[in-house]
Amino acid sequence: MRCCPPYGRVHLRRWVWALLALPLLTGCGNTGGQAVDALTLEAFEDPTSMVRPEQVHLKVASLERLKGERPNLGSSESAHWIRVSGWQGAPRNVRILLDNPTLDSIDAFVLDGPRVLKTASAGAAYGRQEDLIPTFNLPVNEDHALWFRVRSTKPVLLPFVLTQTDKAEMLRERRDLAVALYTGMVLAILIYNCFLAFSTGQRAYFSYTFVVLTVGLVQWGFNGYDRLLWGSSPWMAVNGLTVMGACSGLAALTFARHFLEVRRYTPKWNRLIRVLLGIYWAALLAALAGLPIVAYNLVNLGALSAPAMLVLSIVSWRRGHPSAPWYFVAWLIFLIAVTMQALRDFGLLASTPITATFMPIGTVLEMLLLSFALGNRINVLKRSSDQANAKALAASLENERIVKEQNAELEARVRERTDELAKANAGLSGALEELKGAQDQLIQTEKLASLGQMTAGIAHELNNPINYVQSNATSLRRDLEELIEIIEAHAAALSSLAEGAPGAEEMVGRARERARQLDLNFLVEESRQLIKGILEGADRTARIVGGLRVFGRMDGDQLVEASLAELLEASITVLGNRARSKANIEVTFDEEAPPLWCQSGKLSQVFMNIIMNAVQATETRWPESEDRKVDVQLNGVSAQAGEFTALEVRIRDNGTGMDDLTRQRIFDPFYTTKDVGMGTGLGLSIVKGILDDHGADVTVESTPDVGTCFVLTFPLAAENAAASKVA
Amino acid sequence: MAEEIIRVLYLDDEEPNLFSFKAAFRREFEVHTCDEPHKAVRLLDEHNFHVVLSDQRMPRISGVEFFELIMPDHPDVSRILVTGYADTDAVVDAINKGQVYRFVSKPWNEEELRGVIRSGYDLNRSRVRNAEQGTEVLALLEGLGAQLGGCADELEGGGAAAAGAVAEKLREMKVQLAGEHARYERWIQRSSN
Repeated sequence: MRCCPPYGRVHLRRWVWALLALPLLTGCGNTGGQAVDALTLEAFEDPTSMVRPEQVHLKVASLERLKGERPNLGSSESAHWIRVSGWQGAPRNVRILLDNPTLDSIDAFVLDGPRVLKTASAGAAYGRQEDLIPTFNLPVNEDHALWFRVRSTKPVLLPFVLTQTDKAEMLRERRDLAVALYTGMVLAILIYNCFLAFSTGQRAYFSYTFVVLTVGLVQWGFNGYDRLLWGSSPWMAVNGLTVMGACSGLAALTFARHFLEVRRYTPKWNRLIRVLLGIYWAALLAALAGLPIVAYNLVNLGALSAPAMLVLSIVSWRRGHPSAPWYFVAWLIFLIAVTMQALRDFGLLASTPITATFMPIGTVLEMLLLSFALGNRINVLKRSSDQANAKALAASLENERIVKEQNAELEARVRERTDELAKANAGLSGALEELKGAQDQLIQTEKLASLGQMTAGIAHELNNPINYVQSNATSLRRDLEELIEIIEAHAAALSSLAEGAPGAEEMVGRARERARQLDLNFLVEESRQLIKGILEGADRTARIVGGLRVFGRMDGDQLVEASLAELLEASITVLGNRARSKANIEVTFDEEAPPLWCQSGKLSQVFMNIIMNAVQATETRWPESEDRKVDVQLNGVSAQAGEFTALEVRIRDNGTGMDDLTRQRIFDPFYTTKDVGMGTGLGLSIVKGILDDHGADVTVESTPDVGTCFVLTFPLAAENAAASKVA
Repeated sequence: MAEEIIRVLYLDDEEPNLFSFKAAFRREFEVHTCDEPHKAVRLLDEHNFHVVLSDQRMPRISGVEFFELIMPDHPDVSRILVTGYADTDAVVDAINKGQVYRFVSKPWNEEELRGVIRSGYDLNRSRVRNAEQGTEVLALLEGLGAQLGGCADELEGGGAAAAGAVAEKLREMKVQLAGEHARYERWIQRSSN
């Protein structure tokens, strides 16, 4: 195919006109130079790179003619020697140009047989910017041979052309412009997407920025501009494009994964993507391991991902991915571009400026479309999130309504419960009041019971002496009358005798007879006894009343100084026969025990209660009253001689005794071992209360079938303190 | 009628009471006093008392318990409870059960107590008489039964000749019965007065 020299310019204009948004001509292949077939290329392969320029003329026999305007020798470790001819007769300002910036090294030799007349070098390995489109001067002597030695791990494409010097410059400028435009485009897309990536935080945007970056860099690499980035690094010179390609593959696959939401729509494809990613990683590793050709071929193998992604996008599309069509179109364009490039590289497609633009235009279109796709996707997401928001709003409004209703219901319920609780509380307060009332009543009952006990005792104790005082008085009066009668009879008889009246002797006899009849001696004795009884009765009455005075008021709170011995005695007296007739009560009092400041009435209640309990316990155990024993003791407790610190009252019985359980509970209110109606169960709890008021300590020792001993200890110091308080 | 002297036993644990009682009633009654229940039981066995008085509150034994104790052996004696303070329930119970004839509270009213003792004596007498009469009636009925048996024997052995003698005997028995009848009628009349 022939390509007209002004073609490029015309085309450039046309692109500007036609593709205003895509002025992306790389000029790659748009050499603007003479038709390639003007040159004759013959080549031989030097697999070991051992052939030196001086030896080349010997290899002429192995030269093979290269065909096509873009001969492709494939990629290998070999060096290729190319003899270029057909340039003879060209004007002086014509130079030879090899427009393939991906070649690792290009060495030009002007040879005259074994003699090397001139050398020049270019290629990626040399890293010089001016070599992006290497140009070489033609030999001055047209008999000399022009040889090139080309080495590249990338496909050895050899688009040799003849071109005028100024046109080569123009070509370079145009190339720079195109790459700059392309770069600007890519940068614009990159920055835009970078911005979007950070503002949306979408993973697809991040991976897309990498896609844009790497694709852009690959395009730079194709045009040799990558060496601007890493200068003369030989490793990068050789591997840069491969690494860029692998990176772009990785980025593209990752992006596809994110963009097409592979996990969600096509989970099975994820495995394929992983395999493809593996290929690219292997390529990177191979490059690092110094296997550039393996790496390059792996990247080429990875290119399988392009059709794979296309199919994937179709599958996603069919499965309802909303943005899959965009991706499909973008990827299709990219794939077409790549295919065109490949066809061109293999000479199956004419290397025209149009075909040269396919790749960059394709990539830019792809990038743009993918940008739009991403935008669309974001919109879709936004729409769905708007819908979701609307739904969520509706749901939350509904929730709010429900919550409000529930709140109202709860409040109502709470109010109801509160009312119920208030009612229950009122009821309980009432019940508590009633209980308190009942308790007060019980305490009163207990008080009355002990009062009744006391009254019974006192009544009996008092009525006996009163009885015989009264009865004796009556008897005494009668005796007295009889005595007076006797005395009068005797007196009358005596006076008759004295007067010597008749019958005086008779009167004396009658008086004597009367005295005998009335048993004078007996009368005298009886009278004495009666008087003795009266005195005794009076004395006993006085003693009982005295005992009562010791008690003081039953529920009086006043502190009085009282002798505990007297109180105990009075208590026993007042219990009277009721206790004494039932058991043998022995009393032992320490006579030195000092008086105690106390509420005497209450203490006598305590003593009566405990003594009565003791008597009842013995009654239950012993059928014969002779066996029942209650021992009441009063002892002074002194730390040192003559100084009492406490008084101790021991009330011991030989009654039934208690087990530990009962013993522990005896002071509990309402606890009673008596039959229903026999005791309130409050006696000992009241006792405890009274003892507590006196600061007295009470211990109870008890063994079943042995007996019980109450030990009451009244501290004197505390009582004195209480006394001083009252005072 | 009662020309017999009334024998009274008074049981109380308090000696002054015993003395007062004796001093008060020795002129009318034969008064025995005692301060120990077991001594009282012995005295009851020795003397045929008409009336027994006991204090309710005594050591070891109550008056009611004492009465309960002596009832089986001396059912006819009139039992009077004397007490300084009324254990109402116990006393009511005792009276209802018939263990106690009367209840007298201390200090006693001498006249009242005298009346109570006398009516107690009357009760005792009527009880005794009732028992005696009952014994008499039983003996009479037994004698009549024996006589009727003799008549039957005679009739069986003697034939027609004996009938006259049997008829004579039956007529005598009728007269005897009529006499007894009149006697009992009088007694019943007297008792119900």
